[in-house]
Amino acid sequence: MSCSHLSTAWSSSALASSASSTRRRSSAPRSGGSGLVVRCSLRELRSRIDSVRNTQKITEAMKLVAAAKVRRAQEAVVSSRPFSEALVEVLYNMNQEIQTEDIDLPLTRTRPVKKVALVVLTGERGLCGSFNNNVLKKADTRIDELKQLGLEYTVISVGKKGNAYFQRRPYIPLERELEVSGVPTVKDSQAICDLVYSLFVSEAVDKVELLYSKFVSLVRSDPIIQTLLPMSPKGEICDVNGVCVDATEDELFRLTTKEGKLTVEREKVKIETQPFSPVVQFEQDPVQILDALLPLYLNSQILRALQESLASELAARMSAMSSATDNAIELRKNLSIAYNRQRQAKITGEILEIVAGADALAG
Amino acid sequence: MKLNLYVLTPKRIIWDCEVKEIILSTNSGQIGVLPNHAPINTAVDMGPLRIRLLDDQWLTAVLWSGFARIVNNEIIILGNDAELGSDIDPEEAQQALEIAEANLSRAEGTKELVEAKLALRRARIRVEAVNWIPPSN
Repeated sequence: MSCSHLSTAWSSSALASSASSTRRRSSAPRSGGSGLVVRCSLRELRSRIDSVRNTQKITEAMKLVAAAKVRRAQEAVVSSRPFSEALVEVLYNMNQEIQTEDIDLPLTRTRPVKKVALVVLTGERGLCGSFNNNVLKKADTRIDELKQLGLEYTVISVGKKGNAYFQRRPYIPLERELEVSGVPTVKDSQAICDLVYSLFVSEAVDKVELLYSKFVSLVRSDPIIQTLLPMSPKGEICDVNGVCVDATEDELFRLTTKEGKLTVEREKVKIETQPFSPVVQFEQDPVQILDALLPLYLNSQILRALQESLASELAARMSAMSSATDNAIELRKNLSIAYNRQRQAKITGEILEIVAGADALAG
Repeated sequence: MKLNLYVLTPKRIIWDCEVKEIILSTNSGQIGVLPNHAPINTAVDMGPLRIRLLDDQWLTAVLWSGFARIVNNEIIILGNDAELGSDIDPEEAQQALEIAEANLSRAEGTKELVEAKLALRRARIRVEAVNWIPPSN
């Protein structure tokens, strides 16, 4: 009995370490070679080998599924590009046109901050390494920071994993829980957009921050915080410290195959902004036009964050499953060696007994 | 002379081709756009978009608010969502309209009332878009 306990403990810890960061993986080789002490009967060993083989098959399949989904997520980003490019160009031109005017829009109005809404984007599923944990840890730090600043806060959680996390912590005020299934669409981002819009315009909150994982590469994603509202009328993307990036500089990630392996290229595209012809008229008040344009922009920013978050989640699952497969292969190899040794030892023992018996008879 | 019409949404490009004329619902009423129109920027209201193709056929699409920019015979319409009239089922649209009307009569409270009115307006626009009879030239 003790043997089976040992075996489950061992295999689960091996898979867990594989799912976490690579830092811990470097210490994994202790399991290699003679380090593994197995005290089991042959039959138990065989069933362990079988179960490890099954696990390996599952993790391998999950890895392939994640890889295929990364591609689909990337297609969604690519198909939304014409829209976002045109939008940024128009916004840039509008901005040049109305620089001299005093614009007062509800979405750009900066008020003294009393309450902050934090939109946290997490994944729908687990088994993707530390992806969800990283985002939630960042959310916790941000909440602590806000507390220290003496500000009120409320959380809008998007994604099943985040919802479960915040449900276990009832002391964190939760505004709304949302879920996104599959590839994020305009409807999903619109739901978030409407919510933060109404919160901000009704002055229930004075600032809206968006926390999501920025997709850096297949093995890395950084949780970052971006200020959604108040918007800067110039259409810049700002982080919490007020550092702004011009939105005309846009990044696109692309999954490619290089020498038979999946790699990611991050492409920086500078969107061409043509000089604005001064004769363009405004059919309505510039304020009205910006009022139509900024919600579109807000929505496209949220959609973009959702897409990046999904891509990061899938990439994290891919690498977690890849190392889980590696570990399963190694574990299976070690178990097979132990199994063969025991089998050999048993055969040797039986032969010795037979030889000894024959000797005794002959003597 | 032709106009280049682009209707873009985050999901996909709804329309990208040359047309003769369009009628656009803006925040300040419907405007017709013919080639060599003065360059303008305008906010687009929820409403139908009529397109006259090069062979004088009329098509209808439905826009759910957005923004349009007309420069150098190029029309760029940006919106969160748009539907082509040919994708709307007339019977379904009619049913949705009746449901929306029934909901409005039952609505209580400001929030519900606003939502019901919005839903009714959307349903009405869709029905209008499907049942529109193009002008005969």
